[in-house]
Amino acid sequence: MRKRFYLWVLFLSGLVLIAYISLTTYKEKTPEWKKHQAEYKELLIRNAKDEDIRKRAREMDIRLQQLYLGELNRIDRCISCHTGVENPLMADEKVPFKKHSGDYLKNHSVERFGCTVCHLGQGRAVNKKEAHGIGRETYWDYPITKLEFIQTSCALCHDLTFLKDKGGEKVVAGERLFRQKGCKGCHKLEGVGGVLGKSLDGIGSQPIAYFPMRYIKGEQTVAQWIREHEEEPRRVVSDSQMRVDVTPEEADFLTTYIMSLRAEEIPKKLRRLTGARLPDEIKDEGEALYKMYCIACHGSGKESVFDDAFKRTIPAITNPSFLRVADDKFIRENIEEGRAGTQMTAWKSAAAGLTEKQIEKIMRYTTKDRPKERPTQFGYSGYKVNVNKGEEIYASRCASCHGEYGEGGIGLNLRNPVVQNADPEMLAKTIRDGRESTLMVSFGSKDGGLNAQGIADVVAYIRTLSKKEYKLH
Amino acid sequence: MSSETIDKTEISRRSFLSLAALWSAVLPAIALLGGIFRMVKPDVHYEESIRFRIGTAENFPVGTMKKLDDKKVFIFSTDNGLHAISSICTHLGCIVNITEWGFQCPCHGSRYNQNGKVIAGPAPRSLSWHEISQDIDGSLVVDASREVPAGTVLKLKA
Amino acid sequence: MNGLKNSGIGRFTSNIIGLRDSFLKSFLREGKPTTDLSRTAVMANNFFLHVQGAKVHINTLRPGYTLGLGLISLYLLLITVVTGILLMIYYNPSIENAYNTVKDVNYVVFTGRLLRNMHKWGGEGMIISVILHMARVFYTNSYKKGREFNWIIGVALLILTFGINLSGYMLPWDQLSYWALVIVANIIQSPKEVTDVLGITKLFDIGTFSKELFLGGLNAGKEALTRVYLLHIMLLPLILFIFLGVHFWRIRKDGGLTKPEGFEIKDSDTRYISGQERKAEVFPANKTYGLMELVKAKTPAVNRDIENNVLSWPNLILAETAVFFFTLAVVMVYSFYINAPLRELANPLIPENPAKAPWYFLGLQELLSYSAFMGGVGLPGLALLGLALIPYLDREQQQIGVWFSGKRGKYIALESLVVGSVVLIGLLAIVIKYGWLRTWWPDIPQLFIILINPGNIWVGFMIIWSLFVIKRTDSTRMGAIALFTMFLLSYVILTYVGTELRGPNWAFYWSKSQWPLH
Repeated sequence: MRKRFYLWVLFLSGLVLIAYISLTTYKEKTPEWKKHQAEYKELLIRNAKDEDIRKRAREMDIRLQQLYLGELNRIDRCISCHTGVENPLMADEKVPFKKHSGDYLKNHSVERFGCTVCHLGQGRAVNKKEAHGIGRETYWDYPITKLEFIQTSCALCHDLTFLKDKGGEKVVAGERLFRQKGCKGCHKLEGVGGVLGKSLDGIGSQPIAYFPMRYIKGEQTVAQWIREHEEEPRRVVSDSQMRVDVTPEEADFLTTYIMSLRAEEIPKKLRRLTGARLPDEIKDEGEALYKMYCIACHGSGKESVFDDAFKRTIPAITNPSFLRVADDKFIRENIEEGRAGTQMTAWKSAAAGLTEKQIEKIMRYTTKDRPKERPTQFGYSGYKVNVNKGEEIYASRCASCHGEYGEGGIGLNLRNPVVQNADPEMLAKTIRDGRESTLMVSFGSKDGGLNAQGIADVVAYIRTLSKKEYKLH
Repeated sequence: MSSETIDKTEISRRSFLSLAALWSAVLPAIALLGGIFRMVKPDVHYEESIRFRIGTAENFPVGTMKKLDDKKVFIFSTDNGLHAISSICTHLGCIVNITEWGFQCPCHGSRYNQNGKVIAGPAPRSLSWHEISQDIDGSLVVDASREVPAGTVLKLKA
Repeated sequence: MNGLKNSGIGRFTSNIIGLRDSFLKSFLREGKPTTDLSRTAVMANNFFLHVQGAKVHINTLRPGYTLGLGLISLYLLLITVVTGILLMIYYNPSIENAYNTVKDVNYVVFTGRLLRNMHKWGGEGMIISVILHMARVFYTNSYKKGREFNWIIGVALLILTFGINLSGYMLPWDQLSYWALVIVANIIQSPKEVTDVLGITKLFDIGTFSKELFLGGLNAGKEALTRVYLLHIMLLPLILFIFLGVHFWRIRKDGGLTKPEGFEIKDSDTRYISGQERKAEVFPANKTYGLMELVKAKTPAVNRDIENNVLSWPNLILAETAVFFFTLAVVMVYSFYINAPLRELANPLIPENPAKAPWYFLGLQELLSYSAFMGGVGLPGLALLGLALIPYLDREQQQIGVWFSGKRGKYIALESLVVGSVVLIGLLAIVIKYGWLRTWWPDIPQLFIILINPGNIWVGFMIIWSLFVIKRTDSTRMGAIALFTMFLLSYVILTYVGTELRGPNWAFYWSKSQWPLH
């Protein structure tokens, strides 16, 4: 042993190399799909109806099969294991040999569309784990779609008008909920919508890493994240301000629809999108728009609500006592410009993207219950106002709800431009009469204890609030 | 005497080791070289499948000819049935044109008659006839990887 | 009869009959290497072998002296070159296709996964073997006696090894590639930190200029991939091979590897030698041939230590072949079991957290977390300059070719290892536990951060400690040993901290299992 050190090194290294070259060759020659295909071939021979088919089945060569999808710029190798996907003789076999269910393949020929365009997963992969892409260690952004969400893929190429009675019930129901739950009040979609939440364009094809999975109870998938986020927003994202109230079934529909919002562009030749929209069940366009953009926060609008996540009160915008003092111009301005410093978004076309006509319709809808009788005039311009006195009154009577600097709290934010530029006459009437169904009491009444001069002084002071410096803590 | 024997075994063991070491180096070297060539040969092709569907029989009324440019094949529909003739010249792979008397290759002047049989020029073989078959759902399938003897036609089931 | 033989046809016939012999003779000009003369001739006349001497000192053949590290580095390079060329057949350097083609190498190329692994691990193994090779050369005091410049070329080769590895890391265009590219681009831009402090960025923005040169734009995108690909397969390897040629050529001109002056041959040396029988002495004195006769060129200045030299063919060639197959076997076995990482497709919107550079740069990234300029440019530049200057600052010519230059060197190395570990780990503990200047005074100017940060303090300590050792031992060689030991130590410790102990947001974690869930 002491002799010929280098000969021994050479000899042993050579042996190791021979062993590992053999091992590698064996590994390359026995891939996972080969086993499946061999089993498929046996099934094919067994299921053959006549001698001719049996003969052809025996001739089948076992090889790596792939679909080269030139139009879609994809390569799907799924059929290396799912070889019988088009074979009617395989209708009753078990997965992966089973024929595709339904007659979907009739109009979506496998040769043209492949598999991953609907089912997702990693088409190039040739082993189950990586092809299905489930589990984080597979490092694939788009795991195979569960069958309960498969309808999301239909909406990629088909209008909902087409899908509603052709197996797309869930995504259609989801879309209706999406419109009626006011999702676009906070989430932009196709350029229109609020800015509080994240834009939903292409959300269905965002990689899993985009979603913080830390607090997800169920499976760690994008669909599950969206579902749990709808059910309990603040558990999934701790600082979420999302206002949503859905039943588990509704969450399921909504998730299906939201997952169908994908960024992929399917070539025109292959898709059947005409842009047709489902007709709205709600006849009044103003009402439909209100539901799409406003209802998530304002609800019916009859009563004001203090929201814990917003940390402020959402005003009662269809309350008759509000409508009595607020004229169309003021309300329109509120919708167009929003209320800076609060969650209220500016809805004009340059910001959240609503057209003037749409805003007009929303305004008409919200003001439809405006009482006939007008409040008595206050006559603000007739008073000689004292701002300092107003400040004293404000500090003792208003600051507890509206905040020391008018920044809002239980009461509304008074610093924002819409209030600051509002007609002082209107502010004075509001303070005098209060707002029914809200915490704003009538200060001009006997219990309120402010005389007209005092109200005028406070109004004058309020109109200087925006000039006072207010630091966010 | 005894020392001589020991010397001999010593030598034979040494030369055996040398030989073993030599072969244990040469064998993997050859295997690796072979593996390299095997690796260079692609296992999958990034090309459209050469087995393709061409629709149903209604697309091919009797007495017509269709040239499928992207698939490089002529589909003839006659009273007897359907047949597919490749449009790739067997000389150097140019695409032949159809004429009233058969096919003409524009590159080096090969000519074929209406059955694809070579009649002039440098082409070594006749144009190949592809297998054409009818699937269970009635659609027609051309398999360019399977050649059939000239004159084989697919009789359509009524 | 004779007439026929001498006729043209006769000569032609006999030429055909003698084809095999005459071909072999033209190939092996001096005949088969069976005699000492022909063995010498093989070495001298073969293009691939002639860079090595016809005879080799026994010290060179002792595995305990060289550890074969230089050869292993070369062979790893050859393995990566061959596997790299094979991978290039399938790889497509565009951001649309790069990721898909790498995936397909894994999935549908015969042995593609193994080759990619071998390419990856061969390349990264090269970093380790090159650093160890450098350590071997340093500790055996082999950078002297005319080898000073070769040491500098070695340092250049080390940098090129890093560069090639890094550029290769970016080619798959997955999340790891993309974010490493972003980090590296920002390291390249980091001199801006200094020009900002000096207020001359507007006039002389060398940082952004370098970044643009590297990325072909201001952001990592398809231009960057083209450039990185060019660097990886063309520019850096070209420079590497040129330097490598010079590196080998100079070894030859310097008379082969170093050996101790009082070289003593041992009985155990016989196991590294073949073809020569042991007699009264350990080896018989062979006749030597003047190289002038064989190569018609200048005789290299070899040490006339004839009795301890043996023929290169077959001794050296056998050793080299054995090391080659050993290296190949190790790389192959490792690659058979461990897959090269491949993450999700690059997504510029979602950074990996933590976005880590490849492991061999994580020591730097740890320094970077103190100051981008000092960590990315200043300190590495200083370290490389220091490395390159070692042969010029330590010119003591004793104890060449002896591990650690004797017992005292061993002690100094051990002492520096212990002292260095304590100081460096202590420093890191303070930084991790209590933070640094900006934690204590948030408004501190950037200039102070650049000048006073843990990295600088550590480098300062290394320098002071080495000077202290020089003063104490009265030997520059001992000072060099102290400095180099600490340099290696800091590379290892910082790399370990960066790789294993740093988690999301570069926070400290004892192990990866403690990382918060995403």
